[in-house]
Amino acid sequence: MASKLGLAGGIPERRVRPIWDAVDSRQFKTALKLSAALLAKYPNSPYALALKALILERTGKLDEALSVCLEAKELLQSNDLSIIHIDDLTLSTLQIVFQRLGRLDLATSCYEHACGKFINNLEIMMGLFNCYVREYSFVKQQQIAIKMYKIVAEERFLLWAICSIQLQVLCSKGGEKLLSLAEALLKKHVASHSLHEPEALTMYISILEQQAKYGDALEVLSGNFGSLIGIEADKFRMQGRLFARACNYAAAAEVYRKVLHSCPDDWVSFLNYLGCLLENDFNRSANSFNQICHSNGIDLQGCKSTKLLKEVFDSRMSEALCFMQNLKMEVNDDRVRCPYLATIEIERQCCLRGKADEMLMQAILDYFQRFGHLSCFVSDIELFLSSLTANEKAELLEKFVGISESSSSGTLKKLGQVVTIFKLKELFGFIFTVPVEELEASAKKMVVVYCENLVLSKDLDHQENMYGEELLPMASNALVLLFWRTGYLGYLLEAVLVLEFGLNIRKYTWQYKLPLLHLYSYLRALPLAYEWYGTLDVKNILLETTSHHIVPHLLASPLLPEASAVLKDYLKFMDEHLKEAADLTFLAYRHRNYSKVIEFVQFKERLEHSNQYAFARIEFSILQLKQKADNFEEVECILEKLNNGTQLIQLSDEEKLNSVTFNEDFQLRPWWSPNPHVNYLSEPFEEVSTYLHGKLVKHQADEHEGIVRKVIQRKSLIPRLIYLSIHSASTVLKETVEQNGSDATNNSELRNLLETYARNMGLTFDDAVKLIYGISKGRKSLKDISSGMMLDCMNFAVFLNAWNFFSHHPLLQQDGQCPLSCHMVDDLVKACTLEKSMCEWQFFEGPGSNFSILVQLITEPFTWHALIIQSCVRSMVPSGKKKKKSGPGEQLNLQQVPLLQSSIDCLICAIQRTHRWLGDQSSTPEDRRLDVLSSQLLETEQERGPGHILRILEENASSGHSELGERISGALQLWNSADVLRKLVSSQESYVSKFKDICESKLKWLESLKRSF
Amino acid sequence: MTTIRRFCCEDLLRFAPVNLDHLTETFNMSFYMTYLARWPDYFHVAESPGGRIMGYIMGKVEGQGESWHGHVTAVTVACEYRRQQLAKKLMHLLEDVSDKIWPSVQSLSKFDTFEALLLLSFNAGIHFKFLDGAEEEPKLGYVIYRRVLRYYSGEEDGLDMRKALSRDVEKKSIIPLKRPVTPDELEYD
Repeated sequence: MASKLGLAGGIPERRVRPIWDAVDSRQFKTALKLSAALLAKYPNSPYALALKALILERTGKLDEALSVCLEAKELLQSNDLSIIHIDDLTLSTLQIVFQRLGRLDLATSCYEHACGKFINNLEIMMGLFNCYVREYSFVKQQQIAIKMYKIVAEERFLLWAICSIQLQVLCSKGGEKLLSLAEALLKKHVASHSLHEPEALTMYISILEQQAKYGDALEVLSGNFGSLIGIEADKFRMQGRLFARACNYAAAAEVYRKVLHSCPDDWVSFLNYLGCLLENDFNRSANSFNQICHSNGIDLQGCKSTKLLKEVFDSRMSEALCFMQNLKMEVNDDRVRCPYLATIEIERQCCLRGKADEMLMQAILDYFQRFGHLSCFVSDIELFLSSLTANEKAELLEKFVGISESSSSGTLKKLGQVVTIFKLKELFGFIFTVPVEELEASAKKMVVVYCENLVLSKDLDHQENMYGEELLPMASNALVLLFWRTGYLGYLLEAVLVLEFGLNIRKYTWQYKLPLLHLYSYLRALPLAYEWYGTLDVKNILLETTSHHIVPHLLASPLLPEASAVLKDYLKFMDEHLKEAADLTFLAYRHRNYSKVIEFVQFKERLEHSNQYAFARIEFSILQLKQKADNFEEVECILEKLNNGTQLIQLSDEEKLNSVTFNEDFQLRPWWSPNPHVNYLSEPFEEVSTYLHGKLVKHQADEHEGIVRKVIQRKSLIPRLIYLSIHSASTVLKETVEQNGSDATNNSELRNLLETYARNMGLTFDDAVKLIYGISKGRKSLKDISSGMMLDCMNFAVFLNAWNFFSHHPLLQQDGQCPLSCHMVDDLVKACTLEKSMCEWQFFEGPGSNFSILVQLITEPFTWHALIIQSCVRSMVPSGKKKKKSGPGEQLNLQQVPLLQSSIDCLICAIQRTHRWLGDQSSTPEDRRLDVLSSQLLETEQERGPGHILRILEENASSGHSELGERISGALQLWNSADVLRKLVSSQESYVSKFKDICESKLKWLESLKRSF
Repeated sequence: MTTIRRFCCEDLLRFAPVNLDHLTETFNMSFYMTYLARWPDYFHVAESPGGRIMGYIMGKVEGQGESWHGHVTAVTVACEYRRQQLAKKLMHLLEDVSDKIWPSVQSLSKFDTFEALLLLSFNAGIHFKFLDGAEEEPKLGYVIYRRVLRYYSGEEDGLDMRKALSRDVEKKSIIPLKRPVTPDELEYD
């Protein structure tokens, strides 16, 4: 059965090769022709059929491909081995097609059958193992791996089985007793065959460690197998961890000392060394499997070394200090920072035990003296500073300033120290408490220092980081804070200008681009923000960690095509990775990197459960519905692809919501918007600053995660709610008053979903009804609820109305008299539009601002409402020769027609109003707007106020600076702040114009809908 | 302060501050994961005390027998940690891996050409001329073995830079070629 020489799938290779060549060169027509000829010659060849299926799949004929594959599969399983040729080539070709068709199960079934036919054929068994890897069937993987191991007793097959066991324990919550099975298998193998691969040893140690058999693991590691670990320090690190987990702290400390001798800059090993001296519990940290790929040190921040007697503690700390002192002398390299930082940590531990903090402060000062000029100084010592009081922080800063001023070091080092001091002021939150004058002076100083030191970078390549470049984002931050504290728009514009100035000199600095894109989004210059986002080249995995900077802004804006493009890219990336992840896992199996197998599977799960992935899938579908709303057939088609909306609801079931992962990197967001749901600038300074003080950029992760879960759940309901609503609407005339079973089910599902929606808003169904009724009747002011809640109320009202209106027996009554109807939605539409379009011209576009809420109201609930009415109208005006049914149902609808008409009128009126408002906003000529902006930057007679920093920038740009070198002085000459402001204004205009386009297109649609009555 | 360890998948979720730099390419997932699956010893990350990613290096193994060598595909350092010779440290680590971990084969570390050189020379503070002692050891001991014409997108030339490791006692593997080669003449991708 195996492939014979010159034969492929039982067919002479010369006949097959031209087909593959044609496929490879994408000549599918030729390939198909050749394949037909081949099949004529070999009609019973599964391989020939598999080739045909492959070609059909490549040409997009998926159904045909599947049918041909099934034919091949049937032949394979026909049991007539005399005429049917089965080999791995045939199976793997079929497997490729089945995989591309999303039918992994069928590929597996082919391999299972072949394995049954050709017992002990390793090639086919490996193929089957691969199938199980693709299906994440860990138990079956284990079984087939064991079978292979039994046949050839090869180490790799045993380890495949061990990995499959690990996966059951780690990913499928398989019983931990499986670990003892794995251990027994390994032990037996070691006894008879020894171990040959480093990764096999790592797995063996891990299996033992997970069962807390540290002594056994140490024994294995200390024996001959230890030499399998190529880097000696790695072996010591493993030993140290095992000793520590076994609570043999003395031995562990000794091992870590060895590591530190060979790697004196290894911070994690130092932490573990200290943890051993303090006899901290090492078993509290992450599961032991993770230790394979992480070098997580013990968390000393959370540990209290209370159990040691004072004398013992003191003696151990002085031992540690002494060791560090020796290391410092031994290493004598001014780039090795670990022993110095270690001294700070040791002193911190001493302070925790009641020792005066003098030595700690001294150690920090020493560290500053040595490393204060490095960009990483602040992040190095950040952890140690958090426990200091405000006074201690102030005192420390004063001393740093003293050291910096009195030092005789070179200009570069001095500049570095100055930058560090500014960074610390920001970190300590001093910028929130100092008087406005001081804050402004500080911002000015940062800009001045930056400009004065440009000369240091004159010889650097334009792609190289410039000296002091960190000053500009800090100055910009201070300016944003000045705007927040004073309300002067000029400061915010200066915050933008400072960053643009920096980018004018060096266009690559992403640290300028990120805050700039947030500022532009806030200033409603979203097209410009999107442009800057584009220059960051966010792609592949960065889409998962970094796209949060732009996606939420885009989704709440009229830039629908841009939002769609980013989401599409992201979904493509995720879908592709999830598809190929299993193949990469198998690659790790093949190359015997077993720890990577486990890591890959866990990582795939993490990405698969990403909150953004769920969110993007939902939002992308909603976005499609928004964009295609004026074409009813397309809406129906989109809903059908979503399995009438149920597919998205499945994304938000409780289990899935609880297991969502959060992979965004929020560290790089500006302090005033630590996550997409928070924008401090939209709130008054006094209210938030107390909270912020000292907690700069430390957003509340839990709160954010809770909000995200709610948003996912709420949004996931929308497509189904739309489907059920338009479906109910379309059946009104087709049936009599008596509902059929499916309608009743739909109605009750609609009601259930509305209850879920209300719960998601934090209300019961009845309270939600009362709330929207109250608003519609003007008894409750929209000012009392948040903009987000307004949007939710509007959505709820639209679907509630659909449910109530079409349920034939209006169930909802308020005040005992007035049945809820389209009127309620109409009143709400009016109220919301009025509320949001009554405001004066605004420059800002914070979350929940009038522009973004109006965009969302019009593109979402208003659109859904119109779609529901359209569905109803379509059912009343059947196309073609179909006659209208007569009966009580028809009567009912004719009564409702005026209501529907007036609802459409109301939507038209609301959108026209918004359109007019937008027209008013944009009627001012660009030059006039520019004047308005520039006037915000006019310096006053006083020493302070917006405009001063701009003057510094302008002065630096205008004066000739030949000493700065050609590149920098050339860039300075090109600087024009008016151009920056003009771009800002025209981007704002483009935003309004896109919004107006949306309004116009909606009006066109609604007018045609109106005419159809 | 550098804890250097093997790169793992989760680091991909934390390397944005390194990869947002315009000189650092963010490859597709199968690229990273193929390196992890095949040559995990050649993919290392440096971590700061606060757990931030300081930089990383990725490489692979190519060739058989005498032509076996290590190959550096990318090395990069976050802005905050530049000018501290971290790239040099990462390079030495890979040389050690090639020299000691795979001792049974002839070791020749091949420093991938122009891209890596560019990456190092700009930014990073790893620009060799800014490294201490750069005068004595201008390119970490690598020599230009040959020039590859129009290697990058058919435009810029690439430099194939090599450093002989301990097993190539006579340093035969790094004797520079006299003429430049074209990309189709390269033995490996």
